[in-house]
Amino acid sequence: MHYQMGSWGSYMSSRSVSDPLERVERLASENAVVIFSISSCCMCHAIKRLFCGMGVNPTVHELDEDPRGKEMEKALMRLLGTSSAVPVVFIGGKLVGSMDRVMASHINGTLVPLLKDAGALWL
Amino acid sequence: MSFISENIYCRGWSEEKFFCMASRQRVGETGLSGSGPSNQHMPYAVLQGIGHPATNLINQQGPAFDFGELEEAIVLQGIKLGDDAKKAFFTARPAATLEMFPSWPMRFQQTSRGSSKSGEESSDSGSGLNTDAQLEPESPISNKAPPDQALDQRQLQVEMRKGAPSSTSEKVLDAKVMTLKTGGTLRRLAQNREAARKSRLRKKAYVQQLESSRIKLSQLEQDLQRARSQGLLLGVGGSSGGNISSGAALFDMEYGRWLEDEQRHMSELRTGLQAHLSDGELRLIVDRYLSHYDEIFHLKGVTVKSDVFHLITGMWNTPAERCFLWMGGFRPSELIKILMAELDAFTEQQLIGICSLKQSSQQAEEALSQGLEQLHHSLSDTIASDPLSSLGGDGIITNNNNHVADYMGQMALALAKLSNLEGFVRQADNLRQQTLHQIRRILTVRQAARSFLAIGEYYDRLRALSTLWATRPRENMIGDDSSYQTTTELQMVQTTQSHFSNY
Repeated sequence: MHYQMGSWGSYMSSRSVSDPLERVERLASENAVVIFSISSCCMCHAIKRLFCGMGVNPTVHELDEDPRGKEMEKALMRLLGTSSAVPVVFIGGKLVGSMDRVMASHINGTLVPLLKDAGALWL
Repeated sequence: MSFISENIYCRGWSEEKFFCMASRQRVGETGLSGSGPSNQHMPYAVLQGIGHPATNLINQQGPAFDFGELEEAIVLQGIKLGDDAKKAFFTARPAATLEMFPSWPMRFQQTSRGSSKSGEESSDSGSGLNTDAQLEPESPISNKAPPDQALDQRQLQVEMRKGAPSSTSEKVLDAKVMTLKTGGTLRRLAQNREAARKSRLRKKAYVQQLESSRIKLSQLEQDLQRARSQGLLLGVGGSSGGNISSGAALFDMEYGRWLEDEQRHMSELRTGLQAHLSDGELRLIVDRYLSHYDEIFHLKGVTVKSDVFHLITGMWNTPAERCFLWMGGFRPSELIKILMAELDAFTEQQLIGICSLKQSSQQAEEALSQGLEQLHHSLSDTIASDPLSSLGGDGIITNNNNHVADYMGQMALALAKLSNLEGFVRQADNLRQQTLHQIRRILTVRQAARSFLAIGEYYDRLRALSTLWATRPRENMIGDDSSYQTTTELQMVQTTQSHFSNY
């Protein structure tokens, strides 16, 4: 499995940001493809496999391994309006959505152009 | 010896026969014509001597009447006989026989009045008449008598003849014979009657039971057929012994209706294509078909919350469909495969679209499958109990409460993980729905109509395959329990065959 873990560097710089949602957005804009996940979540595993299968190298933030993970999780829940915050995908800093949105966009052919535009995929 | 009493219970025996036999053996009254076998074959003539009351009794009751009552009537007439005769009679009698008339004297064969009663006992006569008579199962019959008994009987006859008047009164003759019967005989006769009566009652009860069972069986068959038509018990396997949750039952019922709608939509598509409708009209039909599929995905979404296992195990599907089951339904990539059968009908643009759809659906399927596999691993890890976990360093179980608490904790965690199954089935259905909609987008109206028809027929054939499999001839499967199943399955096959012929 080849994807970058959230670096300590980025954590330090966004430490001062108190609002968890802002932190989320900050983290999301740092890489082309950003996935917020929980290490024990199987659906998160599925979404990771999906991107890796496409040849994409996503940046994964495991919220259960982040000290402020709980707050971010709640913020994401509010953002998405669902009971489960993860997995959630940002491409090019913009919110794509959780698993069903990602799947739908992949099937209807909009995901690949999005990835290409963000520079995560080139072929 | 097979006693003539067997013949008494014979249903087919009519009075005429008795008369015939009596007249055939007509002999003089003063002497026996001989102790040859022919005489011995005429026990029925014995009954000629019976007085009117008894005969009337016989006439009224018909072939299967109760000889017991007749016997009693005779006995009650009052009988006198010499003691010598009595003694001889008793010594000759074998123990524990159940003949009705153990020793009617031979001389009574000579009289030529017809009657249907016989009391002769001898080894020869019995065996001879055995072949003529039908045996009623309820009549207790003793088939053997010691040879010396016949000899004694003849002795008895000779003695009796001496003292007997000529044809004055048969009643008197009978009366004399009847004195032979003591309480022992009467008792045996009564037992005989009782046994016969009990047998008849048992038979009646058994027949009644059979009748009620038959009615119950037909009712069950009707219920089963009704349930099948409503789609509650699709496929051969059916539901597992009726332990079906309410959510699952509801889904099965709705799915049954959906299948009926499916047939309607498909025939609409078929006729629409054959009639070469305009694109506008065809579009309406195609879009209706799409929303028909949206309905089932919505229904499954509702059922996922109430009974995810029902969807995942696919009991609402037919067995053949279940073979290809993927996360509670068909594989989206399967749809593309069905499309590919008509490659030449597509433009290059469309082919590119179809190929990318093929790729994306496969990737999505793969991702979900791996996620589910991860779930399996995680769940089994949670459930797998470490036998040493509750042990302290010295190997002794330190605290029983901790062990229980650990167990409960493990179970709670496992439950939470299991609930993720719902998410996977939902995502799989989402994938199926998205794929169908994308097919609609890529193709023209006419192409979409043909493709949807092809998809519908593919699954129709798969369902028919299940039916055919269930009704295929098998050596072991003879038996009534599969026969009614076969009938309804065959009806299903007939309906699907009509679809094939149309296409």
